[in-house]
Amino acid sequence: MTEQDKVKRCAELVEKSKAVVREVFKQFALDELAITWTGGKDSTTTLWIIRQVCQEDKIKLPKVMTIDEFDSFEEIHDFINKYTKEWNLDIEWCRNDDVIKAAGGKLNATVKVKDLNERNQAELKRISFEEEAFPFEAESYVGNHLMKTVMFSEFIERHGIKGIFQGLRRDEQPARVQDEYFEHKEAAHLIPGHTRIKPILHFTERDIWDNIMVNKIPYCILYKQGYRSLGAKTTSAIAVADVPAWEQDLEHTTERAGRRQDKEQMMDRLRKLGYM
Amino acid sequence: MKNVILLTIDALRKDVLGCYGNKSGLTPFIDSLQNKCIRFTKGQTSGPYTQASFPAILTSSYYLEYGKPKGLSPQRTLISEPLKQAGVVTAAFHSNPYICGFLGWDRGWDVFYDSMEDEVEPRIPYIRGNIIKTKANNWLSSHTKDREYKPFFLWLHYMDIHEPYMPEKKYVDMVGSSITISQDEMYDMFQNVLLKRDVSDPGKVALLKKLYDIHVREVDTYVQEFFDTLEKLGILKDSVIIITNDHGDEFNEHGGLSHDDKMYSELIDMPLLIYDPNQDKGEICDTLVSNVDIPPTIVHLFGLKPVEGFEGHSLLPIGGYPEKGCFGEAIDQHSQRGGDIERDVYFYRERDLKVIYRANLDTWEMYDLKEDPKELNNIINTSPEAEELKSKLKPRVRRWLKE
Repeated sequence: MTEQDKVKRCAELVEKSKAVVREVFKQFALDELAITWTGGKDSTTTLWIIRQVCQEDKIKLPKVMTIDEFDSFEEIHDFINKYTKEWNLDIEWCRNDDVIKAAGGKLNATVKVKDLNERNQAELKRISFEEEAFPFEAESYVGNHLMKTVMFSEFIERHGIKGIFQGLRRDEQPARVQDEYFEHKEAAHLIPGHTRIKPILHFTERDIWDNIMVNKIPYCILYKQGYRSLGAKTTSAIAVADVPAWEQDLEHTTERAGRRQDKEQMMDRLRKLGYM
Repeated sequence: MKNVILLTIDALRKDVLGCYGNKSGLTPFIDSLQNKCIRFTKGQTSGPYTQASFPAILTSSYYLEYGKPKGLSPQRTLISEPLKQAGVVTAAFHSNPYICGFLGWDRGWDVFYDSMEDEVEPRIPYIRGNIIKTKANNWLSSHTKDREYKPFFLWLHYMDIHEPYMPEKKYVDMVGSSITISQDEMYDMFQNVLLKRDVSDPGKVALLKKLYDIHVREVDTYVQEFFDTLEKLGILKDSVIIITNDHGDEFNEHGGLSHDDKMYSELIDMPLLIYDPNQDKGEICDTLVSNVDIPPTIVHLFGLKPVEGFEGHSLLPIGGYPEKGCFGEAIDQHSQRGGDIERDVYFYRERDLKVIYRANLDTWEMYDLKEDPKELNNIINTSPEAEELKSKLKPRVRRWLKE
């Protein structure tokens, strides 16, 4: 693709996303909306696009939420802090301090369920975790639930959020090919009903990088070191050392190869089916 | 013929289907299809649980072909791969973690939904058949919107019969069952009887079987709803539909529950129906066939040349199928070491004779399925055919070590 074609294609992709965002502003009140931001390339692109729409249409940018899963990269924190200031964001950091306290602030420490507060205990019951203790790892099944899912649910509950922007892409996992821009989640035990909005669903991983380069969108320095997908610090792996993510063979290798969450999800289902 | 659809039903015993002789009326819809079906009466799965069986169903190869299984070996060819290459559109919708994308089963599919990203009920950790149907319906409606749509291969897998056996009230009522226990009590049965493989109380085992049967009735309605969808979209007349299981389920026929590493009929007997909209009087095929034959059959239905490496043979045309024995294998999945390849078990069947070999114990069993369908009378020491069958199975035992 020539540089000119690339610029044209990126403009089209962004326009499509902007149309989704504008539809959201028509359907939801501003204070019912929020944006999830992990500091990763996809949610940063999403945030950048929403910000563009807000500037063009003179709308206040909805509040931003970011989850600190404790086992996190300093480089991502620095990146988030820098652009929170530069972009003047109304940001809320969400961290499950109760779990961290029960783990004595140490990764891999054993967390006793009885040391957790009522809400966290209820959440464990909800996912049918019936053991007395678990190791504190952010991306283990239990850890992921308490550190991320619970923080997410609490945030939308606390602010009465009805629509929440997420940086999910269709090509990220084959399971997402049928995803839609708007996904309504019915209320369930401990989870308020809400709509997940995915403005960049149609971007591929390659599109994300092309667009970041064409529009000079900032990105976390870890991508330059060879990370392709950023999750918790101890479970994210460099894909190809010293080869920036955008120079890697994105089309023929998997983006999530370094992540453990998919495995945990599978193991948990198997356990509940009575295997293991 | 344009499309091929494969419906696999997890843990479906052959003997619960009316078309295979069951009198309880659990599968009225599937039974009603018989005049448009070829019904295979001697199908055998090649393994007693999902991981052991699906390599055959989708890759026409055996479970332990490459030694200890860790995800889907790149050496296997998934049926989706040659089909996609030939221009057939391929789509899969299921919810069984053992065949999820993470383990490599998403190769070659245009659409692959394994539900792993979706929330499921904590006690019933899979997506129900009605949701699978909705997802398939959405995809089919958009794919076949155009009159000139590309032919497709669609695979749906229903998990609903699989434990924990907690049927909803409407299905309990549907079979006219007198069961009144609550969902909590059902879950308690799952945890304290089924998971513990506790067969000491025949009343509890019978209750588990009743709950299981209700799920069979439930899945029959999902199959019916799916056929209705195809009819509404006007594509039923253009689709061959293969209906089968991946394995059966045990209710103390041989001292256990669920589906462990055993090779008896309650786990290995396979219902197999090929629905052909152009048939008008049903056909019955009494030849011994295996689920490794499913992928070559699909390839044949699309008019493609046989795929190199597929171990089975096309079941169609029926006259062209070779007479052969059926083979299967498994390992102990519940041992402390998890998936212990050194605790392996094999079976080989020819006509009505079956031998079973446990390699770690070096023990043989043999049954005459015609005389002794419940497989209770081991004739390994008295049958004049024992040595011949043993000699045919032996080369398969731990063959990955020999290469």
